[in-house]
Amino acid sequence: MTTAQASSSSTTVKKKVSPLTRPSRRLLCLGIEGSANKLGCGIISHSPSPSNSTTKVTVLSNVRHTYITPPGEGFLPSDTARHHRDWIVRVIEEAVRKAGVRWSELDCIAFTKGPGMGTPLQVGALVARTLSLLHDIPLIGVNHCVGHIEMGRQITSSHNPIVLYVSGGNTQVIAYSQQRYRIFGETLDIAIGNCLDRFARVIGLRNDPSPGYNIEVEAKKGKKLVSLPYGTKGMDVSLAGILHSVESYTKDKKYISWDQPTSEDVITAYDLCYSLQETAFAMLVEITERAMAHVGARDVLIVGGVGCNLRLQEMMGIMASERNGRVFATDQSFCIDNGIMIAQAGLLAYRMGQITPLEKTGVTQRYRTDAVHVSWRA
Amino acid sequence: MSTPTSSYSYSPSTCYLERGELIKQGAEAKVFALSSLFPPPKIYNPSSPSSSSSSSTPSSSGVIIKYRFPKQYRHPSLDASLTASRLTFEARSLARAAKYGVTVPRVLWVDEKGGCIGLEKVEGWSVREVLGGGAEGEMEYQDEEEIELDIDTNDDERDVDVQGEGEVEEGNEGWDKLRELGVGRDHLMRSIGSALAKLHLTTIIHGDLTTSNMMIRLTPDNKSQPYEIVLIDFGLSSTAQFPENYAVDLYVLERAFASTHPKSEKLYAGVLEAYAKGLGEKKWKPIETKLKEVRKRGRKRDMTG
Repeated sequence: MTTAQASSSSTTVKKKVSPLTRPSRRLLCLGIEGSANKLGCGIISHSPSPSNSTTKVTVLSNVRHTYITPPGEGFLPSDTARHHRDWIVRVIEEAVRKAGVRWSELDCIAFTKGPGMGTPLQVGALVARTLSLLHDIPLIGVNHCVGHIEMGRQITSSHNPIVLYVSGGNTQVIAYSQQRYRIFGETLDIAIGNCLDRFARVIGLRNDPSPGYNIEVEAKKGKKLVSLPYGTKGMDVSLAGILHSVESYTKDKKYISWDQPTSEDVITAYDLCYSLQETAFAMLVEITERAMAHVGARDVLIVGGVGCNLRLQEMMGIMASERNGRVFATDQSFCIDNGIMIAQAGLLAYRMGQITPLEKTGVTQRYRTDAVHVSWRA
Repeated sequence: MSTPTSSYSYSPSTCYLERGELIKQGAEAKVFALSSLFPPPKIYNPSSPSSSSSSSTPSSSGVIIKYRFPKQYRHPSLDASLTASRLTFEARSLARAAKYGVTVPRVLWVDEKGGCIGLEKVEGWSVREVLGGGAEGEMEYQDEEEIELDIDTNDDERDVDVQGEGEVEEGNEGWDKLRELGVGRDHLMRSIGSALAKLHLTTIIHGDLTTSNMMIRLTPDNKSQPYEIVLIDFGLSSTAQFPENYAVDLYVLERAFASTHPKSEKLYAGVLEAYAKGLGEKKWKPIETKLKEVRKRGRKRDMTG
């Protein structure tokens, strides 16, 4: 607590210099992602720009294969791992072929270390280790959430936004400070994607292309807003209650499922999709706004699978414009889990000299976003 | 669903909003400041000698208006019900807290239809400002791009001290004032703790405890305590029924400390200590047990998937 010393040593230089140095040649990284039901592999390159002193980032390939379960079913870890084992060789081969690179050209291999489902994660890590030993390429374990954030920042060129990370397993409001992505708010129980997926199962929506997308489509036909609990607690949200409540509407006498409404009094599945989205997203936008007001930020970046939802993007956009801010979002190829984001975060770490030694390449189901030392940012 | 803009319906508070100066747009409301409820009076000073000119300092009690404007992103009926309930809760909690002697801003009026609440203006600084909240300072420079240095210039010495190593930034008026009065961080933390204890003894749960929601007001008249902690922003407040509620309230603050003031995290222990003391052994024990439980679940837990 030596404040006097601190104030005297503080400099007038406030401009931040990135700790990253410009690469002297093209650097290539292959990323493998398999923390949930998506299996992805991508290759990214960072090369020195010939015209100025910046670094050019190019996505060479981004291949994904999704494990889709029948309507009314979720994905179990063991089945998901089996899917990954069945497909991983094909996915990686496809990524390498599309990128048009040779194995010997790769500088590093990045894989998802966590968080996620244990067995599917192990598949990715195992293959990464094998490839590393086979071709003598260093490994980098990447935090899945940090991967999302770094890819979002890269694609949208949003420099220092508040990040809303919404997916099947995570719901977090994050801001960067002092080399960590700090979590300002998050869900107290289930994740928003989990909430949507589970409700999609209850009303029998298909899991193809994704349950959340199907809810989004059906919600457009909804008209009536049914009353659902609104659970914001400071910068946190609670979503379990809203799921339970919207499920109980399906047992209501007035519930007519997908039939066309015959009177004003009935509740359709469309209405429930609409109400669930409106209420849950309003909560998410509100906690994001709270975090923005708290840290004084203007820009928002939405990442994660639920981030593709256009209604969420629209609501966030209205909120941001009321605060003179901007919203950045990406499309499904970068929002939904993919290998390229792991490659991007991995390559950033690699450029800072962070390499994961083989004996430390184990995976972890629990790996918090704020546990990562973000050495590549000032 | 898409009413173009909020039709500025006329309410009793409208004229004040027009006169007020927008000082902050919080997450929920726009906050306007007024120097007083009346238009500035035109004062004619007779050219009498220095008899009473110095003593006539008007007790300028500023006014804050919190205007919960309609949120366009929310469904109108959802928005209306949320606004109404939060406004009423805030007013009720503030009145109740004041009744039991907790230092909070006075409620001047409530305009439910207009979405406005008029409050006494608290002169001072938020604890966030005084502690120099980490993230905010950095956000100010967001327009400046990080520049990746060329590899050739790599050998040049780079300024290491660019990321605000100093725990408290320069030009921190509040902190300077407190230091002048001989108040250290530990003392500040203890005051926060006892202010919270006082609040919780009235069974009010704040619901959004962050360092932004605590003001430091100097009390020059009081010799033993040169300043006081004023809790503000009761929009998410409620009444507690179980020790769990208190524990969650404390936990929210704990997390806010950790994320906003990463370097002051250990100071938080001082808050809890004073809180426990203020509450008394008997009431603190069950809350302490719950707090340990709360810490273990929720935000500390990692999600899978």
